[in-house]
Amino acid sequence: MHVLRNFLFLITLCLLSPLVLASAYEAKLAPELNTAADLCAYAPCSEVLPGAVRFSTRKGHPPYVEGFDERDNRIGYVMLSTDITDTPAYSGKPIVTLIGMNNEGRFTGIRILKHSEPILLLGIPESALNKFNDQYLGQFTGDKIEVGRTRPEEQVIGVDAISGATVTVVAQNQVIMTSGMAVGRQTGILEPVQRTPARFIERGHKPDWATLVTEGSVRNITVRNEDVGLPPGEEPFIELWFGYLNQPDIGRSVLGELGWQRLMERLKEGEHAIFVIRTAGKESFKGSGFVRGGLYDRILLRQDVDVFTFRDLDYLNLYGVLTPGAPSFNESAIFIIRSTGFSGAYPWKLAFLGNRVDQATGQRSFANFDTDYWLAAEYLEGGRPKIEKAAAPWVRIWRMRALEIGLFAALLVAVAAVYANRDRLTRASTRKNKWPVNAFKYTAWVISIGYVGFYLMAQPSITQVLTWFHALLFKWTWELFLTDPFIFLFWIFIIVTVFLWGRGLFCGWMCPFGSLSELIYKVSGAIGLKRFQFKLSQRMHDRLKWIKYWVFFGLLAVSMFSMGLAEILAEVEPFKTTFLVGVFNRSWPYTLFVAVLLGLSIFMERPFCKYLCPLGAALAMPSTFRWFGLKRKQECSTCHACAAGCGSLAIDRNGRIDHRECMLCLDCMVLYTDDHACPPLAQERKRRQKAGLPLTPIGKDGYYIPITPVSAHAAKPATAGE
Amino acid sequence: MVDPKFMTDPVDPPYARQSNPLVLLAAEVWDHLWPWSHHGFVRRRAIVAAEFSLGIAATIVWILAAMGRLEAGALIGWWFGWSVFEVIIRMGSKPYVKEGPWWGRNYRRANLMDMVCYVGFKNLLIGATLFLALKWAGLLTV
Repeated sequence: MHVLRNFLFLITLCLLSPLVLASAYEAKLAPELNTAADLCAYAPCSEVLPGAVRFSTRKGHPPYVEGFDERDNRIGYVMLSTDITDTPAYSGKPIVTLIGMNNEGRFTGIRILKHSEPILLLGIPESALNKFNDQYLGQFTGDKIEVGRTRPEEQVIGVDAISGATVTVVAQNQVIMTSGMAVGRQTGILEPVQRTPARFIERGHKPDWATLVTEGSVRNITVRNEDVGLPPGEEPFIELWFGYLNQPDIGRSVLGELGWQRLMERLKEGEHAIFVIRTAGKESFKGSGFVRGGLYDRILLRQDVDVFTFRDLDYLNLYGVLTPGAPSFNESAIFIIRSTGFSGAYPWKLAFLGNRVDQATGQRSFANFDTDYWLAAEYLEGGRPKIEKAAAPWVRIWRMRALEIGLFAALLVAVAAVYANRDRLTRASTRKNKWPVNAFKYTAWVISIGYVGFYLMAQPSITQVLTWFHALLFKWTWELFLTDPFIFLFWIFIIVTVFLWGRGLFCGWMCPFGSLSELIYKVSGAIGLKRFQFKLSQRMHDRLKWIKYWVFFGLLAVSMFSMGLAEILAEVEPFKTTFLVGVFNRSWPYTLFVAVLLGLSIFMERPFCKYLCPLGAALAMPSTFRWFGLKRKQECSTCHACAAGCGSLAIDRNGRIDHRECMLCLDCMVLYTDDHACPPLAQERKRRQKAGLPLTPIGKDGYYIPITPVSAHAAKPATAGE
Repeated sequence: MVDPKFMTDPVDPPYARQSNPLVLLAAEVWDHLWPWSHHGFVRRRAIVAAEFSLGIAATIVWILAAMGRLEAGALIGWWFGWSVFEVIIRMGSKPYVKEGPWWGRNYRRANLMDMVCYVGFKNLLIGATLFLALKWAGLLTV
């Protein structure tokens, strides 16, 4: 007993050891990290900017700090990713990253401070992400760096992904590049983009407020209390309206003829003016802590990747909005954009910057609320210029892997089509020759193991179900799930087929691990180990099958309290070890677990699928309500021919099929129309042969089509007709 | 005689043979939303079920609240507790589930697992819709 206890403790320790080492997983960061002026008092800045001995306080928008060497020369910059972007990774939460960059805009160090990525908790070591980050060291922030292969013809530098963590690294690439560029633009490392200045059409009308709103010449930003972590209230946290004043019709409508003329006289060549008014809320958009000579830290303007902030000299009073129908307001401003890089012809965004307070922990985090603005085409000579938007990361991945995605989609469609035609295949098969069915099924298994499992690493897992559930609760982003096209497509297939036919088509035909397990069983039987193979008694099976449901409910319940712990416990699935990380890349308890399961599969059909798989349990539950089940005859209630051959033990003593357990192997459907194997059919066949009656085709009900003699009376009209 | 086409014995709810499809649809919607039936209401069973589910809901809510996640937690806990309650109630009052296509008229007796699957799945859909609606309306913070 004592030895057993020690053994269990050792196993637990080994299983949990990666968690202990994964120091950045849900690491507790100082709350001041997000807000303190002295960022580097709370973050290891010198680690990402080697040689720096002193750091400035946070400056700029979005914020960064400057690093200085011993001789007090500035040698680079350090930025906290969450100050700049809240791009979520696979967990739905951002990876908090500290990034260092030298004066030339080359990355000098990247350090993960906190992440919530389940795959990095167990499975893939955290060092893999660090290794991924190291690929950026020495790279220029203005370069096009993407996850994937290098494409010199497009000036794209590729960085290697982490197998099994594609979504995580795509998000991380976006975080690093966005952060580097945001700081690079502010510090002059990256030149602002020169855009063609707008040439306005003066229509000579004075639009009212409703017209301005309709045509998009004034837009609004509304921030609700709950958006910044405050209790909901009737009044929003802040409601702003803003618009572009250089366009004569809009400018005259808002400021009046005289006001607009004066404003235009004050503006120099290449300068632009916008107005902002607050129509609801008590929060100031100018900032209560604003000081003369300082920067307005709650408002900024973005045009593509360029950021324009406002100082006190860029501010003018706005005493009134003269547009008919304009709302009343209690704070107002005119801001001047003093940059030739800005153009009124191109779209831009006004952003209100706030802090979101986590009510549970009191932690504040950066929050950005912005609204797009683009002058209507009728105000611009030649209309709106054409803009080629850079494709989103998930679009690039779909393009890059188009062939593989196409093949995978074709595979899914083909398997569904084959199964939809199961009646033809089962009729073409007999109990002794099931190849018309098995040829397709075994092919699906082999492709599933080799192509889907080992090559694409597209093994669905219960962790995805939990992740989706949490994304639904906290932050759902389609892009996040689209980033892994194979898993995305696989889940569409699973959802559709579960409702059509039950979980069996995925579990029995397409699940890479399930296929591997059953293939081992079949091959073992074929090479002479059949005499060692066994099935549990139905009674024992009916007891053990509930384990997987308890595992699933357990994981679901634990995930409510701790997603991290649920991820650890989800190691009951051997998928990561088998396909994502590799049996030889993990510590021995995981390898042993896989070996035991696959070893057991030599002697027993799909032991993991039947008794342990939480994903199978999760899919079995909606399978209760699948639309189309397998066929049965009344005689099945007393005849046990199908039940005896059912590898899934899904047919009970009354001949009923439990569709939650059925893997849709179709063996029982082959028997259903086999007049040499299905006892009631065989009996009828013998009776007809003995009586010299013809063997009519077998109908949909599984019986010979009855022979109905045509009566002379019924035949008469036909004869008459001739 | 056992009918092997059904996982359990076929049964008909009172509205099953309703000829008007709209009336049938309305009756089914009502059935999904209202777990009680007049004949099946057993006072003692209801009280036991209520106590049991309330206990589970309260425990979940308290643990989540202790972790500082009361708002969403309260909702999830309450919904989970309600689902447990509904399973127990339905087993006494409406112990049947649909078999085959959802637009069909085949019903069968529900065993406990059938009912857990039915209530779990139905309430997940209703819960997710409500949850998203509440979040969208700003009445729920997470």
